[in-house]
Amino acid sequence: MDYVIRVENLKKSFGSRIVLDGISLNVKRRESYVVIGGSGSGKSVLVKCILGLVKPKSGTVEINGQNMMHLPQRAIFQTLLKCGVLFQGGALFDSLNVIENISFGLIYGYGKSIKEAYRIAMEKLELVDLGVEIAKAYPAELSGGMKKRVALARAIATDPDVIFFDEPTTGLDPVTSGTINELIVKCTKEIGISALSITHDIKSLKRISDRIGFLYKGKIIWEGTNSELTTTDNPYIRQFVDGTPNGPFSH
Amino acid sequence: MCFKNRRMFLVRIGGLFLAFLSAIGNVTMFSVNSIVSGIMPPYYLKQIVQQAIQIGYFSLPVVGMTALFAGMAMTLQCFSGFSELTAENAIPSVVMVAMTRELGPVLTALMVAGRLGASMTAEIGTMRVTEQIDALTTLSVNSYKYLVFPRILTGTILLPFLVFIDDVIGILGGYIVGVYYLNFNAANYIHNTFASMKMWDVGSGLIKGAVFGFWICLMGCYHGYFSKGGAEGVGRSTTNSVVSSSIMILLLDCVLTFVLF
Ligand SMILES: Nc1ncnc2c1ncn2[C@@H]1O[C@H](COP(=O)(O)OP(=O)(O)OP(=O)(O)O)[C@@H](O)[C@H]1O
Ligand SMILES: [Mg+2]
Repeated sequence: MDYVIRVENLKKSFGSRIVLDGISLNVKRRESYVVIGGSGSGKSVLVKCILGLVKPKSGTVEINGQNMMHLPQRAIFQTLLKCGVLFQGGALFDSLNVIENISFGLIYGYGKSIKEAYRIAMEKLELVDLGVEIAKAYPAELSGGMKKRVALARAIATDPDVIFFDEPTTGLDPVTSGTINELIVKCTKEIGISALSITHDIKSLKRISDRIGFLYKGKIIWEGTNSELTTTDNPYIRQFVDGTPNGPFSH
Repeated sequence: MCFKNRRMFLVRIGGLFLAFLSAIGNVTMFSVNSIVSGIMPPYYLKQIVQQAIQIGYFSLPVVGMTALFAGMAMTLQCFSGFSELTAENAIPSVVMVAMTRELGPVLTALMVAGRLGASMTAEIGTMRVTEQIDALTTLSVNSYKYLVFPRILTGTILLPFLVFIDDVIGILGGYIVGVYYLNFNAANYIHNTFASMKMWDVGSGLIKGAVFGFWICLMGCYHGYFSKGGAEGVGRSTTNSVVSSSIMILLLDCVLTFVLF
C-alpha cells in the first residue's frame, strides 16, 4: 500500500501530562484524512510531532517513505519542501506583507525569482477568495478570517504533495467556509494532493473527508469513512457529531 | 538534623552547578549551530542588510548621546580632582584613555544590550510563541540561518564601529567642557589629548566591542529562540536577555582588560 503518512505508536507527554498515548494512523496517497476530537485532545500536537516540530517520546513517523526520526537536517528540509502546512493560529510572518508571506516558500525553499514567485502568489491569493488589494497589507492589518486564508494560500503556494491543515475553516463565515472546503476538495480530488486535516466543523468534515480518525485520551479510538460516521452507534462519536451535552464525554 | 541540612545544601549547590553547566552547553550548541548553518550557502543578504541598518544606523543617536554626556561628566570630575594637584594638563589624556579603553566599549555595549538585545529577544520570542519559527521550518528554511546568524554576524562586525564613534563623541564632549566651561586653551587641549595616545588604547576597545557585540546578539537570539509561555514568557525572556548581557559585558570587560593589558 502506498502511504504518504505513516504514524506508528506515537507517544508524547508534556511533563507528567500524557497527550499522545500510542497513536497509529496511515494516510494513503490522494486521500483526505481528517482527525477530529475534543478541544485539548492533542490534535495540533499530533501534527507537530509528525512534522518534527515537537519531539515525540517514542514512535515512528514516515512522510513519503522517509523516516522523519532518523533523517539528517538537510533531508528533513527536503521532505518538508513537499509539505504544505496551515497552522491553527496562521503563523504568518508579521514582519512581511501578504504577498511576501505567500511567496516565502517559493523564494527561500525553491529558489524561484521574486517576479515568478509573486505571480504564483497572486494566483493563490485569488484561489482563497482574497483580492489583490490586500497584497501589500501586513498581517496585523487583516481580520482573523483573512489571516487564515492568507496562511492557507501560503501552505499551498509551493504545490505540495501533502498538506496539513489545522482547522482551516475555524473563524470563517459560512460562505467563505464553503469556498475553502471546495478548495480543499479540489486539492485532494482534482490535483491529487494527500491531506491530513483537523477540524471541529462537522459540515466541513462531511465535505472534505475520505476517512476520519477520532482522537480521544491520546488514542485514535475510532476510524471510519464519512458514511460510517453518520451510521455508527459509538457513543463518543454520536455525542461529538450531534453536540449533545449528555454522553460519555461528560463523565 | 544538622547533617541533613548540610546534605540538602550540597544537593542544591550541585543542582545549580549542573544547571549552569547545561546552560553553557546549550548556549555553545546554539552558537555553533547558528554559525555553521550561516556560513554555508545560500546567503540571506537581505536579512543581513536589514540587521546592519538596525544595529549600525538606528543605534547611533542613543550611543552618541550617552557618549557625549559621559565625556562631559568625566572631564568635570577629573577637573575637580586634578586641580587640587595642579595636574590639569593630564585631564585630556586621562579622558582619552578612559573613553577608548573602558567607557566607550562598555557604555556602547550596555546601551546596545538595552536597545537591541531586548528587541531581538522580543521579536524572536514572539515568533516562537506564535509558531512563526515552526512555520519557517515547514517552509524549509533553517531558522538559525535566517534569524540568528544575520544578527550575530552584524552585531559582531558593527559594534566596534559604534564603539569608535562613541570614543570620538566622548572625547569631543570632554573637549567642549574643557574648552568652553573650564577655559582650557583649545590648541593645548587637543595637543594633550593626542600626545600620549597609543593605537592600542583604541584597538583594545574595538576588540572589546566585537566580543560584546557577539555576546549581546547571541543572548538576544538565544533567549528569544527558547521563549515559551505567551506574552508573559516573552517578557521574562527579554528581561533575562538584557540582564545576562549586561552582567556578562562587565565580567567580560574585566577579563578582557586582564588579557589585553
Ligand atoms: N508546548 C506545550 N507545553 C505544554 N503543554 C502543551 C504544549 N502544547 C500543547 N500542550 C498541551 O497538550 C494538550 C493538547 O494540545 P493541542 O494544542 O494539541 O490541542 P488540540 O486538540 O489541538 O485542541 P484545539 O482543538 O483546542 O486546538 C493540551 O492540553 C495542551 O495543554
Ligand atoms: Mg489545535
